[in-house]
Parts: sequence; C-alpha cells; structure tokens
Amino acid sequence: MPRKSKDELDILDNEKINKNKTSTKRNNTKKSVATSKLNSMENKTESKVKRTKSSQKSKIVKDESPKSKKITSTKSSKTTSASKKTTSSKVTKKASSSAKSTKKRATKKLSNEKTKTIISNVEYYDLPYRYNQTVIKILAQTPTNLFVYWDISDEDRNFYIEKYGEDFFNNTKPVLIITNKTMNYSFEVEINDYANSWYVHLNDADCDYSVELGRRPIYTNSNIAEYIYISTSNDIEMPNNHILFDRLGKSVFFRNIKNNFVEEKEVSSISFIKNIGKVYNIYELYQEIYKNEIEMEELNKNNIKLNLSSSNSSTFK
Amino acid sequence: MANKKGYVSFVLHAHLPFIHHPESEDYLEEQWLYEAISETYIPLLLNFKKLEEEKVNFRITMSLTPPLLNMLDNKLLQQRYIKYLKKHIELSEKELVRVKNNEKEYNLAKYYFERYSKDLHVFRDVYNCNIIQGFKHFQDIGVLEIITCGATHGYFPILYITEQTVKAQIAVGVQTYEKYFGRKPRGIWLPECGYVPEADKYLKEFGIDYIITESHGILYANPTPIYGTFAPIVSPEGVVAFGRDIESSRQVWSSINGYPGDFNYREFYRDIGYDAPYDYIKPYIASNGARVHTGLKYYRITGKDCEKDYYNIQWAKDSAEKQAGHFFDSREAQIDKLAPIMGNPPIILCPYDAELYGHWWYEGPYWLYILFKKIYYDDCNFELITPSEYIDKYPLMQVSTPCRSSWGANGYSEVWLNQTNDYVHRHLHVAGDRMVELTHLYPNEDKDSLRRKALNQCARELLLAQSSDWLFIITNGTMVDYAKKRIKDHIGRFTKLYYQIKDDKIDEKFLKDINKIDCIFPEIDYMIYY
Repeated sequence: MPRKSKDELDILDNEKINKNKTSTKRNNTKKSVATSKLNSMENKTESKVKRTKSSQKSKIVKDESPKSKKITSTKSSKTTSASKKTTSSKVTKKASSSAKSTKKRATKKLSNEKTKTIISNVEYYDLPYRYNQTVIKILAQTPTNLFVYWDISDEDRNFYIEKYGEDFFNNTKPVLIITNKTMNYSFEVEINDYANSWYVHLNDADCDYSVELGRRPIYTNSNIAEYIYISTSNDIEMPNNHILFDRLGKSVFFRNIKNNFVEEKEVSSISFIKNIGKVYNIYELYQEIYKNEIEMEELNKNNIKLNLSSSNSSTFK
Repeated sequence: MANKKGYVSFVLHAHLPFIHHPESEDYLEEQWLYEAISETYIPLLLNFKKLEEEKVNFRITMSLTPPLLNMLDNKLLQQRYIKYLKKHIELSEKELVRVKNNEKEYNLAKYYFERYSKDLHVFRDVYNCNIIQGFKHFQDIGVLEIITCGATHGYFPILYITEQTVKAQIAVGVQTYEKYFGRKPRGIWLPECGYVPEADKYLKEFGIDYIITESHGILYANPTPIYGTFAPIVSPEGVVAFGRDIESSRQVWSSINGYPGDFNYREFYRDIGYDAPYDYIKPYIASNGARVHTGLKYYRITGKDCEKDYYNIQWAKDSAEKQAGHFFDSREAQIDKLAPIMGNPPIILCPYDAELYGHWWYEGPYWLYILFKKIYYDDCNFELITPSEYIDKYPLMQVSTPCRSSWGANGYSEVWLNQTNDYVHRHLHVAGDRMVELTHLYPNEDKDSLRRKALNQCARELLLAQSSDWLFIITNGTMVDYAKKRIKDHIGRFTKLYYQIKDDKIDEKFLKDINKIDCIFPEIDYMIYY
C-alpha cells in the first residue's frame, strides 16, 4: 500500500511541525487553542448553517452555459462526488479521502503496469487547516455580498491572553466592523469563533470597503476594554450593479487611441442616448424603465437601477 | 464597405484546463481534450479550410488559452489522442456489424467510422499531430485573429489581492502566445471575462490593446457608455473593452429557444456508451467499468420528454441553414435600427465558448460555415470584423472604466466564490504571497541552478492551482473529487517546494518527478512575480 514516506511529509504536517516547535512554552494556551479548534471543526456544520442564512441570496443559480462541458463526466464519478458539503467535518473528510485515494491508486497500479514507474514518489496532500498568520481578507462575491476570511496567529492569541487573561477568548466574542469608505459609515456584524469566514450583505454597491476584525466582551462587567482591535483587511471596491445615468454629466470624453487626442461631446447632442430606450427595448430589457418613454432629462435626475440578471437570465452563462 | 452600415464580430473562446497524467491513462478528464479536438477544433479548422478553398472572405477571432496550447503541443497527449481515435475507429467498425440490420443506425455508424478516420488523417498526416499550426495558418492568411488568455485561466477578481499574481497570469499568457504564434497578441480573453480595473496597467505593460467583457461590463461602466455595447470604450489606462451583445447571445444561448435546442440536432445525452450492451461496450468506456460517453450518438433531440428518433444528418444541416438565415436576418434588422443613431458604425460582438460549437452543439461549426458564406455572398448591411480591425478603423472611442464583472451566472463572482469553494481562496492567496516572497528572497538565480529550477516549478504549481476551472467544477457538482485533488496537489507541491527552497534542502528527485506531470510552460521565468 503506497504511503507517504518520512521525507514526503505533506504540508499539513509541515504546518503542524512549525506549530509544535513554537508551542512547547505555552502549554495552556496551546490547549485552549486546540480545543477551540476541535470545537470549530465539530461545529462547522452549525456555523455553515448560520452563514448560509446571511448569504442565502447568493446561492448559485444553475449554470446553463457550455462550461458544463465538464459534465462529460462518468456516472460513477457523479455518484462519488455527491458529497458537496466540503467543510462538514474536517476529521472524517481527511480520513475518508485518504482512504479513497489510496484505494484508487492501488487499482490504477494493477491496471496500468506500464506507466507505474514514471512517478515513483507517491504523494498525498491535504490543504493546511490554517497558516498561523493573523490575517483578514475580503473579496466581492456580488455587488452587495462581501466575502471575508480571517485567522489569528498563535503568537497573537498568546499576546491577548497574556494581556487580558487566560479566558480572553472565552469572555469575548469576535466582531467584524464593515466600513463603507465612500459613504463614510460603518456597521458591525457579530460573528463566532466556530467560523473562519463569513458573507456580509451590503446595502451599497459600487463603494470602497474595508473590514476590521475585533473582539468585544460578552459580559458587561468584565475588566476587558469595550473593544479590542485585532486586524484590518485589504481595501476593495465593490462592483457596480446598475447603469450610471445619474452620474452622466453634460458631456463625455472621447479619445483617439492612435494619437491620444481627446474630444469632448455633449451628451444631449448624441442621438443614441436619446434612443437608448428604443434600442434596448429590442431586447425587452429596459422595458420597465422606458415603458412611459422617459425623457433624457428625467433620466439624469433619477438614479435608475437595472438588474440585468433578473430580466435576462440567458445573458449570463 | 460601400453599403455596409455595421459589423458583426465572432469571438470563440477555446479553453481547457491543463490535464496531463503521464503516471496513468485512467484519468477520464484527459478525454475532454480529445473530445474537443474531434468535435470542435478539427471541425472548425475543416470549415475554415472549406471557406478558404471557396474563396470566402470571412473574419473570426479565437482565444486559444495557454493551457490548451501547451496540451496541443504535448507529445504524450498527441499520442494518446491518436490512440483515442484508433479506438473510436475500431468501435465504429464493430458497430457496422452490430447494427447492420438497422439501416438508420448503420448509416450513422458508417458516418462515425468515416469521420474518425478522417480525424486521424487530418491530425496525423495533414497537421503532423499539431493542430496549433492549423490555427496559425488562418491567422497568417488574415481571416482568423488569435488572442491570448490568462496563463492558466486564473480568475482576476479573486487573485488581484496579490497583484503580482494577476501580472504573472498576463505575462505568461502573452509569452506563451509569442512562442506559438511568433508575434504579440493584440487582445486577451480575460479568464471568465473577469474584469478588475487593477489589471489594466499590467495589460498595458504587456502590450494588450483590447479585452472582451460581459454586456454589463460596458453598460454599467463609469461614465455610462453612450453607445451601449455597440461601440468599444477605452479605460483611462488605455485598454479597449468590447462588450457582449445581448440579443445575439440570447439567440444562441437561450435554454428555451436557443439554436442548439433544435429538434433535428444531435442529442448529446444519448450515447452508445450508455445504450449498448455492457459487455460489448466495456472496452470503450471507463477503465473502472463506468459507462461514459463514447461520442457515438444515434439520436436527435426530437422533442421534450418524448421517445428519441434517429439522427438525420441532412435534416440537421437543413436546420443549421435555416437558423443561419435567422441569425443573419436578425443582425441585419439590428444594424438597420442602430446605424442611424450611432457615431461610428455599430459593432455586434458575439463571444461564445468555442466548445459550444461542435462539442455541445454538434452542428455549430457547420452553422458558422453557412453563416459566413451567406454574409459574404448575400446582399447585406454588415460585414464580419475582428476587434483589432475595428479599433484600427475607428480609433475614436469614449473614455470610461468598465464595470467589475464576469460572464458567470448572475454576472459577478458567485460561480468562483461561494460556499462550496470559498475554502480555497485563502490557500491561493497565501501561495501567491509566498511566491512573491520567494522572488524577493532569491532574485535572479543562476540559469542552471537547482534553486532556479525549483523556483520555476513553484511558479508552475501556483499557476496550475489558480485555474478557475477547479472552482467552477466544484460549484457545478460534477467531477468534484478531481478538481479538489488538483487544488490540493498543486498547493501541496508548491508548499513543499517553498519550504525546501527556504530550508535549502531541495529534493531533486521530487522536483524532477513533479516536473514530469506539471510540465506546463517549460520556459517560465519565476521573476515575473518580482
């Protein structure tokens, strides 16, 4: 049975080794981190449910694209891959997938005597559970759904424990402070220690955002400060989700890309923009807005939101 | 162009993830390439050839992605494709016996026998096992414009958090193109049409003139493009963006009344891999005994929820011709309405996955052939054009920043970032950061040093892990195990090498072994991450 040899430690082991190297001095902490990790593994399903609630809208719509070329799959692989809940239980997952992979390899070897010698090092990898870094990063999933993931390194955990006491992580809860930098407001989302990522719904698309990870005491009479800052994310600009008629000024600029000469054109002189309603009526797309033949002047005043995807499901794959 | 009022531009995006398993022949995923060669790439080439021979002047644009080019150029995969063809020829020969009492099936078996035999001839004797040359020929005679793509189809809106990883995707995409086509690409197909303005400066740095975006990439741009998707825009950084036309996409794509759903067309899901007696078909299906598609299909779509009727090649051709006529008329009408209210003549951009043509829509390449011929011979108000030609003719365009967008379901990043696959992103980001770190720790290593080889392999592993395909497959729910394994393997190999390099303990044998499998981009230079 092919098993990984000592010098072929997978990255999970590498991470473990690194962790173990530094963990001898802080037995207590280590233990609490370990239990919290275990809890977090066991409760992953629960946290998943919670997360789903917050981002139910983003449930992926069945793709009718040609990309389903990958459906040229086998029936057997369809059945084996049915377990979509990837994060249900890290422990069992690892065990079962490693068993699966060795089994697969064994059969392959039998059926394929000729090629078996090409790669003599049998590899098995799993993704590291964590990288032991204090990090928080954000990505735009949709114009109004932001994805955030985070982690706190063991070193930083120890720092807070040393500063605020051994029960720091039990007596505080994690929070995310989402800041809309364009409109200059913030709001807070309470999260939990079972999750390491979250989807946050935003009211305002097309704005710059950053997210701060911090902790707040669970009990009001605790001796911990009201808010403890941990880390700040990258900045992102969320996508825009509507036609920006409202931002269209009186004129627009044209550039000749061969000689970089720039021309200014008055919007009112451009017949297309006057006819845009009719043009796009061809597609039954903008009917809702243009059903009363709204005049350009009104368009300029109103912030018109269009949702292409809802009116034309076939546009996007 | 005397009486031409506008243009239509077809862009076919040909892409498959890099799948190369010298260690085993049992990976069914490798067959995606063979199916695509037989059903899409060779049929397209043969139809282009016919148009060339008939002296039909046409224009088409295709992106041939770097992983696809690397696979088409790979000796082992070329040999295996020949093996695949021989097996198909053998199977269709057997079919001639098995179905000899059923005339309709017999005729189709004969058709498949001839078709696969012709594929073998074209692939081996005409193109000398390398069909890249075929595409290059049509670019060289001026009817096909080939554009590039991100190195491994990495999805920019997720990668750009570490900008150097986007830069590397672009750099390697351009370098691969130059290697195979001997010139610089003018356009790029952004992987999944995933646009972020942060990529513009790198696109410019590597000489890219234009990109293709989904419709709302243009419609939601800032400031609003006053000609909608019917004229390109230029970003402040100087990248020209063309947007997908909504009406023409819908005609082809709609699941309800799109062209590929015509009842006379070949039914994809009925295949003798599933229909033929098990013991008979066993040598031609998966090695583990699972029934799979063989490519030999005898039925037409026929209708909804009804018994399937036999495929009739002539009827299918008739439908393709009728639909080409419909597409032609629709574009004429569209351009008639648009032309009077535009500044420059309108351009209707029609981007599609290349594999739609032939693989999914079996009659697609023939439909294109008929359409192109019709546009050339019939009296009409438009002409075919490539985006480059349009830019050269009409260089004056509105300055506007395209909207962050993609062509995935709902138009943004949900396909590549959702609860089924979001666990992957932190690994991609960390690996990206580590790659940048390595280049700063060990810049400009000696040409033949072991460390340089290891660093270059790190770059390959990172690029392979970044393929948007793995995330897509996980979302899609088929072949999930394979996609997950690929992510684990590439992140695993990358991380192992990362530690080996940093500990100055590079395992030469390990490096050599993984280089045999992950042999994409043999000339890569890791300093692109610097």
